[in-house]
Amino acid sequence: MNAPLMLDRRAFLGRSACGMGGIALHTLLAEGMSMAARGEEVSPEMFRSVAPKAKRVIFLFQSGGPSHMDLFDGKESLEKLHGSNLPDSVRDGQRVTGMTSGQANFPVLKPIAPGKKCGPAGVWISDLLPWTQKIAGDICVVRSMHTEAINHDPAITLANTGSMQLGHASAGAWVSYGLGSTNQNFPAFMVLISQGTGKNPDQPIFSRLWGSGYLPSQHQGVILGAGAEPVLYLDNPPGVTRPQRRAALDDLAALNGRFGEQAADPETLARIHAYEMAFRMQASVPELTDLSGESEETLDLYGPEVRKPGTFAANCLLARRLAERDVRFIQLFHRGWDQHVAITRQLPNQCRDTDQPSAALVMDLKRRGLLEDTLVIWGGEFGRTVYSQGQLGSASSGRDHHGRCFSMWLAGAGIKPGHVHGETDDFCWNITKDPVHLRDLHATLLDQLGIDHNRLVYPFRGLDQKLTGVEPARVVKEILS
Amino acid sequence: MSKPELVVLLLMLQPATWAAERLSYNRDVRPVLSKNCFSCHGPDEHGREAELRLDLVDSALEGGESGKPAIVPGKPGESLLVKRIYHSSAKRLMPPPDSHRELSPDERDLLKRWVEEGAVYEGHWAFTAPVKAELPAGADVNPIDRFVAAKLVEEGLGFSAEADRRTLLRRLSFDLTGLPPTLEELAAFVADPSPDAYERQVDRLLASPRFGEQQAVAWLDAARYADTNGYSIDGGRHQWLWRDWVIKAFNDNKPYDVFLTEQLAGDLLPDATEQQLVASGFNRNNANTHEGGTIAEENLVNYVADRVKTTSEVFLGLTMACAQCHDHKFDPIPQRDYYRFFAFFNTVGDAPHDGDGGVNSRPSIQARSCLSTPEEIAAVEASLNVAREALSAADPAGLGEWVAAQREDLAKAGADLMLHPLIAESATSPNGNPERIRIEDDGSVSIAGGDYAAYNVMCRLPQGVGPVAGIRVEFLPTDAAGGKLGYSGVGGLEGNLVMSTLTTSASSFPALNVDLNASLPMARISASASQPGFGPALLRDTTPTNGWAPPTGSTAPQHVTVTFGRPLDPAASPYLTTELMFIYGGGASPARFRIHAFTGADDGSPHPAEITALLKAGPEAWSPEQQGTIASYFRDHAPAKAAQRTRVAELEERLAVLTQAHPVMVMNTAENPRVTHILDRGVYSSPGEVVKPGTPTALPALEEPADRELNRLDLARWMTRPDHPLTARVEVNRVWEAFFGKGLASSSADFGIQSTLPTHPELLDWLATDFVTGGWDVKRLIRGIVTSRTYRQGAAAGPELLKKDPRNELLARGPRFRLSAEQIRDQALMVSGLLVGRLGGPSVKPYQPGDLWRQISHYGSSPATSQTFVQDHGEKLYRRSLYTYWKRTLPPPNLAVFDAPNREVCAIGRAITNTPLQALVTLNDPQFVEAARKFAGVLAAARDSDEARIADGFERVTGRPPVVQEMTVLLGALGRERTRYAADPAAAAALLAVGESPVDPSLDPVEHAALAQVCSMLLNLSETLTRP
Repeated sequence: MNAPLMLDRRAFLGRSACGMGGIALHTLLAEGMSMAARGEEVSPEMFRSVAPKAKRVIFLFQSGGPSHMDLFDGKESLEKLHGSNLPDSVRDGQRVTGMTSGQANFPVLKPIAPGKKCGPAGVWISDLLPWTQKIAGDICVVRSMHTEAINHDPAITLANTGSMQLGHASAGAWVSYGLGSTNQNFPAFMVLISQGTGKNPDQPIFSRLWGSGYLPSQHQGVILGAGAEPVLYLDNPPGVTRPQRRAALDDLAALNGRFGEQAADPETLARIHAYEMAFRMQASVPELTDLSGESEETLDLYGPEVRKPGTFAANCLLARRLAERDVRFIQLFHRGWDQHVAITRQLPNQCRDTDQPSAALVMDLKRRGLLEDTLVIWGGEFGRTVYSQGQLGSASSGRDHHGRCFSMWLAGAGIKPGHVHGETDDFCWNITKDPVHLRDLHATLLDQLGIDHNRLVYPFRGLDQKLTGVEPARVVKEILS
Repeated sequence: MSKPELVVLLLMLQPATWAAERLSYNRDVRPVLSKNCFSCHGPDEHGREAELRLDLVDSALEGGESGKPAIVPGKPGESLLVKRIYHSSAKRLMPPPDSHRELSPDERDLLKRWVEEGAVYEGHWAFTAPVKAELPAGADVNPIDRFVAAKLVEEGLGFSAEADRRTLLRRLSFDLTGLPPTLEELAAFVADPSPDAYERQVDRLLASPRFGEQQAVAWLDAARYADTNGYSIDGGRHQWLWRDWVIKAFNDNKPYDVFLTEQLAGDLLPDATEQQLVASGFNRNNANTHEGGTIAEENLVNYVADRVKTTSEVFLGLTMACAQCHDHKFDPIPQRDYYRFFAFFNTVGDAPHDGDGGVNSRPSIQARSCLSTPEEIAAVEASLNVAREALSAADPAGLGEWVAAQREDLAKAGADLMLHPLIAESATSPNGNPERIRIEDDGSVSIAGGDYAAYNVMCRLPQGVGPVAGIRVEFLPTDAAGGKLGYSGVGGLEGNLVMSTLTTSASSFPALNVDLNASLPMARISASASQPGFGPALLRDTTPTNGWAPPTGSTAPQHVTVTFGRPLDPAASPYLTTELMFIYGGGASPARFRIHAFTGADDGSPHPAEITALLKAGPEAWSPEQQGTIASYFRDHAPAKAAQRTRVAELEERLAVLTQAHPVMVMNTAENPRVTHILDRGVYSSPGEVVKPGTPTALPALEEPADRELNRLDLARWMTRPDHPLTARVEVNRVWEAFFGKGLASSSADFGIQSTLPTHPELLDWLATDFVTGGWDVKRLIRGIVTSRTYRQGAAAGPELLKKDPRNELLARGPRFRLSAEQIRDQALMVSGLLVGRLGGPSVKPYQPGDLWRQISHYGSSPATSQTFVQDHGEKLYRRSLYTYWKRTLPPPNLAVFDAPNREVCAIGRAITNTPLQALVTLNDPQFVEAARKFAGVLAAARDSDEARIADGFERVTGRPPVVQEMTVLLGALGRERTRYAADPAAAAALLAVGESPVDPSLDPVEHAALAQVCSMLLNLSETLTRP
């Protein structure tokens, strides 16, 4: 613990090295330096667990709280219980949000649409998700997710940063920090946002969900937008052409190179790399978003909305294209799942937004051989109550938030295909078998990337911070192939 | 990888080696124990294993449940600790393998050697009061240099040569004021022969009002100051008066003990002044929410927990937040201490759900700006008079042009107009009751009652009628609305509607919701009639507080008509989705409406009927009075007059800022303060023992008075005790960090057990004690630092030095780092002459791409403000960056990319990264493109030749003239750009059109654009972005 050699990575990356500009150095740092912070002997293996099965992650985040019993956890029992009051013994003192805590009774609402048992495991999937039914053999449905949070802000923050408190780093930022980037043309963590048609506008989302928290800021997610300029400030100003910019950057590199050498300033040399990557991004991003090379068949696979930039369908196709370009962590945020009201009208629209594109993404990745090393995750921050918010049967009724159990699905690298994990009770209220906390999901996500979640740490404010936080978390081995 | 990078990297990869000298517990041993052992054998009572504590000497000697001593000083063979860390059995080995902790062979040997040497424990350095050390011998006058030199000598090193004057002044100017020196300042300093030339620069810059702005930025980060409430909805708040108090405190050199006391307890001071109340707003900067469904008790706990976290980190360098859920794992802060500290902040009368609709959460007061000066009031009044005169001055040329254009527009109105009523196929509202929205048999949409809603209506466009020029929304009376058009209950708008915004998109498939990414531009908006003050043009402004309304009392249909920027081909995009936003409040939603598509030209007028009639009649027909009417309408509405109107409005607002009271959130004590419980695992719903306010037991005691509980003022007095071990150390360390890039103790927000030891502990303690005895004088401390030889050294490091001290911890060279986000933007504004130097006031919204806020916000679903980004104009585009409106869930993107934090939580010290996204900002952000254009104008006006212009510009951004090679490259670039734009003057015009400041008509556009490109390069030099 020789103090002068105690380097913290933040200072190192900031003051004496580079961000994404010098990729080689950055990657080397990412692989090797995270432990240097406390003066330990550095080894790239320090946070390695097993050989990685996934090279990248596509997280299809469904913001607002998709209704688990309507989509993946419908059961016979609910048909019978429909209209009956949720017994206190089942409710088990569970706190409910301020939106329904005043309700006089809690009538059970059966799934709003029928479903069928699908795939080898016979997992129930709603007829609202006909395309997801088709890929039941490729995905693993986890019906026993749970979270302590019951309101959006803390819940979505926990689902994405591992903590309900503000200030932590997002999962994608952790992966970028831990593994760095594997390509020269894109940031390691890219974010795509779409609005749901079930409910618009829905609950807000925020940059914290893809933020870097205490990690160096180059690890924050970069938004790939749908407008004319997909990455902020990407385009040259009006009246400036690409060759003109090229010439200017060459001159700038000459000027900066001279200064960097004279002043012995490694930061300046790194900056030259950063400007070069910026220039490459100006070409690689438009090439990424240009879908003219996609076949009609592929476009049709993702559904009609794929042709409309900014939709979930278009973003799913972009996710595949980002995966092909080896972007490490690709996260889609689809809003609109907060069905407090009018669930019978809103939910089918949400499903229509997401069902075909999500399934198409899995199919498309699979046929291109990308599913083998891509982990796909589909789900939101919590589930919804089995009881009706508002009068049962009213067109305006919906369901409130529910954190005690909810469903997600995973597919691809290392995940058991055609599998189902976890069970809930007859009321879809409590987990009866194999609970999986969001922390466990994070641990599993990192594990699939070859990272031991207990070892990928960042010392900050006196603690070794980690994505899975201070409470115990486990890799859900049961869902791994 | 370049060579220097590699050298640095390899240096870092060297394993640590132990010096042969006697081991120090604090320096060598505690870090190993703390990292590997304390989480199970440390202060946390609940996490403790085998009843063994290794952080306290007595417990370690006594041992745990085994009954055998863990440590026998001098006898490693008899010490259980040593046995267990070397144990061959995985079952017995410590730390246990499943703990994911592992001692390296070196660490094991170190612990063994420490036991051999007698296992001497030491108290934690930061928890014992600093003692002013004897100054080391030496020739340097400045005490800082004595300490630094002494250490350099030990290491066989010496100071580097002093940086040259240009470098020094650039460094000093940025550090003290956040701005580069001007050419005149550089020349004066370079030519100043007096022996105290440098000190006089220091005094000049310390006295600058810009000093407070620069120093405030880090404080705003630490105090998590923002202009929005945070959490999910993140609506607007008004807290800038507190920010202005901070600026003034720095400028006035308010002693740090007073600075601290007023912020922690300004409201509790006897006869507290208004500004002392404002200062207490420090503890109201926490995020707060009004999200429906959140639980009151949980919210309140979150608010207070954030106050504990911020106060303890900022003032004490303690990570108390760790003890919210359990005893601190490393520091001697039991959970009980946490909640005693919590109790200080739990007495405020704040509300769990508050701050909606742009109204501050309680407690909030009306207060005046402390930055108001009679001089500025007089100057603003004078400017306002000039601006008003300029706006009202006759402008016959402008008026004539405008009248002609309007007459031409009206002459074309109605040509070939065909209305095609559309059938609504879908009509939805996100939170509204679907039963209240009804599609009528005729395809119109009716609403059952007053609503606060965004309606999305999808219709099919008519085919075979030719290109669709736009839409008309017709509002119809209903019985449900009492024969009126809407449901407003607001005075003056009874029975009316107010449409805040109208957004339309077209698509190839039935899209239920409007596509914000493809909204159709509104080229022309007309209305059949409008309520005064609610003209149709206001539909362009997304702000909820304005919009279009038909005349109140209308019982006949009224309509508003939008002509798109380009006609729409219904064959290519047969579906039209329209979002009609009714978020004015007061239930001002419509009774019933029908959407029409139209082909041909709208027959409506964008103007009120009277103006339309006059315009149609023509100027010849106007009476003098009517001429006045038209002139006045032109002044108030014509785009050509917008800049002058903005100028008047901004000056009026500024005058109000300087002369009137404004809201600001403050602390108070509730009539019935909440009782504080220890919360099991930090969970609000598991209250345990009741506790009273108190300070951490590991620190000097604070006695409770006999007659009352302790309060925040007692806490502030305790923190500012002269012998407090933390307060002064933490502050001088943070100040040091601002000037050297890192603190003497590098973990500047954590002085706990896990912190890094200071590189120069005696210096830190000398500075801390001197700070206190010197009256907590911040400017005196800063003056001492910046006049030191240590600070004035050149920053270049030879390979030898770089190898020996890659992080410059020995301080054998000067500090160098990238400019901050704010400094980068402010420098560009300053050299281009755009910077507006006003101090303080409400935050401003300069350029931002598109409406990023609306993409993620609750716009249309919440009365919260700041859900949609409405850009400012005029001088607000060019204020210093610390005044940029800070939305927590989406901080200003061109600042965030340069490592500015989101201000959701306390942030002490920013990382400095270097990314491609930063390059995109300084190359392409309109703010910087415009600055390059104006910079070119400054250079063109100042100098005649290419060489002189380039040399001048280069010096403005780097502080030095260019060398020959640099000049050659830049001249080449200028020639190349000149050729390029000469061949394509349209491109030159396009480049020059970026930004809202007027283009200097006296400059040749080709020359101007070419020079602007060179200026853009100057703004992107690495040296420009570096504080040397």
